[in-house]
Amino acid sequence: MSWLRDFVDVREPAAELAQLLSMRGFEPGAIEGAPPGPLAPEGRHGARPRHDTAASDPSDDGVIDFEITANRPDCMNVLGIAREVSTAYGRPLAHPPAAARQTESSTAAPLAVTIEDPDLCPRYAAAVAEVTVGQSPAWLANRLLAAGVRPINTIVDVTNYVMIELGQPMHAFDLDKLEGRELRIRRARGGERLRTLDGEDRALTADMLVIADATRPQAIGGVMGGRESEVGHATRRIAFESAYFTPSSVRRTSKRLGLKTEASARFERGADIGAPVWALERACALMEAIGAGRVVGEVIDRYPAPRPPTRVRFRERVIERHLGQRVDRTEAARILRQLGFTLEDAADGWEVVVPSFRVDVTREIDLVEEVARHAGYDRLPATFPVLRAVPRPSDPRIDADRLVRRILTGAGFAEAVTFAFIESQAASAFAPAGEIVAIAHPLSEKFAVLRPSLLPGLIESVGYNRRREQRTVRLFEIGRRFRASAGETRTVGLAWSGAGSAEHWSAKPRDVDFFDLKGVVDRLCGSFRLKPSFVRFPQDAEGARYLVAGRSARIEAPDGVVLGVVGQLAPPVAETRDLPRGDDVFVAELDLDALAAATPRADVRVEPLPRFPSIARDISVLVDERLPAGRVRATILAVAPATLERVQEFDRYRGRGIPDDKTSLSLRLTFRATDRTLTDAEIEQAMAVIVFALEREHRAVRR
Amino acid sequence: MPHSVDPLRSAFADELQRVSSERELRALRDRYLGRKGGVVATLMKQIAAAPSGDRRLLGQLANEFKTDVERALAERQQALQDRLEPVEAVDITLPGRPIAQGRRHPLVILRDRLEDIFAELGYAVVEGPEIEDEYHNFEALNIAPDHPARDMQDTLYLNAPIDSRRGTAPPSERTRPQVDRAATLLRTHTSGMQIRYMEAHEPPIRIIAPGRVYRRDNLDLTHTPMFHQVEGLVVDESITMADLKGTLTHLLRELFGPDARALFRPTFFPYTEPSADVFVSCHACHGSGCPVCKRTGWLEILGCGMVHPAVFEAVGYDPERFGGFAFGIGIERLAMLKYGVDDIRMFYENDLRFLEQFPH
Repeated sequence: MSWLRDFVDVREPAAELAQLLSMRGFEPGAIEGAPPGPLAPEGRHGARPRHDTAASDPSDDGVIDFEITANRPDCMNVLGIAREVSTAYGRPLAHPPAAARQTESSTAAPLAVTIEDPDLCPRYAAAVAEVTVGQSPAWLANRLLAAGVRPINTIVDVTNYVMIELGQPMHAFDLDKLEGRELRIRRARGGERLRTLDGEDRALTADMLVIADATRPQAIGGVMGGRESEVGHATRRIAFESAYFTPSSVRRTSKRLGLKTEASARFERGADIGAPVWALERACALMEAIGAGRVVGEVIDRYPAPRPPTRVRFRERVIERHLGQRVDRTEAARILRQLGFTLEDAADGWEVVVPSFRVDVTREIDLVEEVARHAGYDRLPATFPVLRAVPRPSDPRIDADRLVRRILTGAGFAEAVTFAFIESQAASAFAPAGEIVAIAHPLSEKFAVLRPSLLPGLIESVGYNRRREQRTVRLFEIGRRFRASAGETRTVGLAWSGAGSAEHWSAKPRDVDFFDLKGVVDRLCGSFRLKPSFVRFPQDAEGARYLVAGRSARIEAPDGVVLGVVGQLAPPVAETRDLPRGDDVFVAELDLDALAAATPRADVRVEPLPRFPSIARDISVLVDERLPAGRVRATILAVAPATLERVQEFDRYRGRGIPDDKTSLSLRLTFRATDRTLTDAEIEQAMAVIVFALEREHRAVRR
Repeated sequence: MPHSVDPLRSAFADELQRVSSERELRALRDRYLGRKGGVVATLMKQIAAAPSGDRRLLGQLANEFKTDVERALAERQQALQDRLEPVEAVDITLPGRPIAQGRRHPLVILRDRLEDIFAELGYAVVEGPEIEDEYHNFEALNIAPDHPARDMQDTLYLNAPIDSRRGTAPPSERTRPQVDRAATLLRTHTSGMQIRYMEAHEPPIRIIAPGRVYRRDNLDLTHTPMFHQVEGLVVDESITMADLKGTLTHLLRELFGPDARALFRPTFFPYTEPSADVFVSCHACHGSGCPVCKRTGWLEILGCGMVHPAVFEAVGYDPERFGGFAFGIGIERLAMLKYGVDDIRMFYENDLRFLEQFPH
């Protein structure tokens, strides 16, 4: 905090200061009373990035770390924080340290500087000095330590000090290592390489900006310096660099090289294009003050196309329009002036000149934010927006999902949430290879592809529970599945393993079977007012590869649209998902949008309740064991009179007394007329027709 | 003509004494209380024929008698039932037959709750695609291609673009052409729904858009590569930051109780300005500081701000005419705070022993 006090008078304790700045958008991290632990491995361009600013000195009262948001590179330094503190307390901000140096010279510096690519480097300042490289004085070293930067030597320390103090990253070259005593700021040429300060030999590409001497690169602009021209104890003459590099270029280069540094972190967010020269002068003054060297010649400043400052019109009324509360005109102006803005009065507000360090401020709303931050969010009232129009309806899918949840939780299924990405091997059984959508750079093999079905994730969760002493597991999930041709589809997946009946002392539980899950599917479709058909798959159909062939079905809406699949999970698939061997798992997946689309649109119309009694007849027939019950039912419905109200299978029996290739099917037929009580004769006649049809169509034998 | 019902009373008492079964009790009831020929009915008839001077007293006596008989019969009935034969009893201490009952996932419970809170305030609940294009996820939200903000949210990109957007776009009310590009990434936030909804609708707008979002985060105690958000967006003439404060303060009180306090701290999001992080007073210590809130008294709950004019420009709204606010809530974090879950992975393991702790 003593460093901070160089710029603004602060006597408040660190915790209070942290709180003050917190409420202005600077999230405080640790408050420390001693030098911080983590040290950066290298100085200057080599320092490990800390995107926060330490505003203090361990020698007295502590260090506060702040997290600086991406839009505020101007606060990644002590001065920037001091400016916020001075505005918050309404105290004056000391001018940045004087550039007055002990030596003045009017001779040209012995260094040629040429910007060959002003797009990537709009400004480059440099100065030459004769130096005696040694250890920095304790006060300077301690301030660097407090900021998390390891002291290296006087010259490197001076560059780091200025970066942390003013936010201007700097570099120092060993001048005698620069061929031709010149610096060329240009793009790297194909095949050029540079051993950087961290010892890595790096291949450079043509979109990277380098600082080169007459023949070869000596630094990667804004990222890191080169080993060859590194300043060491033997160095006699140096060239200081203080430049502005284009943010996107530094960002790209840093990313490409996988090299983030304190310098690149500042340049890529946007350094102050107005700072290079005075930061350089500050560095020179500091160097001379600690007796580390003497400047030779004049400061060089290459700035081919000076940028005019940003001007923003700021209408006073927009403050209230956005905040819902007036901020006093003089208070708003004070805030902006203390933050470094220049204000000229205009009829409806001000004409604001934005200081070059505020790269984030380009339009009126940015100034509203500045006023709001310092006026205090806590001063705003809490009101409610007026409802001026009839609210629009919600997405009907939201309600449909809720219905599905009610039905399935009511049926005993717990809702699961699984990740949308799975291993590619797990996905392969659930969709053809060409349909599987892969992630370009997955976190791990476990998250390699987007799920083509909700089932792999659900099955894994079933296994997870089975391995944790859960005998019966019923899970469902509502989510999206992804396929290359269909994009994303909203589906519901179900999985059931273990007991099919309630576990109770009164009866032995029965294992889950196909009909348990079919019943759930029936109920689910029923809640959408649909009576689905269950159709055996063609061999190559959806689901055929992960379900047991004889125990699976495609679910179809009455109009033939496919709603989904239901069946027993193929044991080989179950095994690859880590399910205990021998566990039968029944699964289903339904397309929720198809289900909703197939739902009748018309309101329910009530049927009159029956006024006459029904008459039931049971019939048992021997039929071929492979004959589906559905065909028997269809035959009955085709020939029966309109008075047949209901057909219900109530027994299916094979065994003693039944020939091997036959099965005994028992059905209860319920008849009712709406206008009279049916007579026995009518029923007998209907039954005769039905029995005759069953004999003729299926060679059925009545038992 | 009797002047007292005492003989009847003693006769009834004797007979009641001899009753030993429910059947005999029913017979006794019929004999005394039967509507035709019952003792009480007969008595009443006699009273009707009695001289008018006696009628009142007799009526009173008869009614008392009737009440006493009824009460005595009921008591006897209860007594008989109390000593029912043991063969008819069940062991009521054995467990009942369980009715299977599933649970909503805790993240869904909270999502539903948030939907309900905002539905009451007139917000429409809408959903959007999880695979998204860079325009809707970044560009239109004022996140430039080279902007550091794209660093803040490391994105999961698809190996190959996907064109099909079947059923994922909201129905449109606007004639302006909407940006329609192939999906190239998994959305990193639900904020893209702000753009999709504004492209398709004119102000005023009040929506929330819940859904899953994806980031390139490794699994640990507080991070998962997939999580859930609820996005909110309100656009109209004269929407202010004070409206945002009022709305979100209401939300926090609904979630954490009427004493909850809200704190708005400035922060940065590319698509809102001014922006705020919102904190709620710690429900565990009521703001005095405890391990739950890391001794700060406050819990960070959500991010919000006033819609950035660049976002309005992207969807063709006039930022001079319209204002708006937006917010995004992470459901996992909320669930961890509310339910005391300290490992986010528990939400994705689907352990029934975990899921079944939540109410139906």
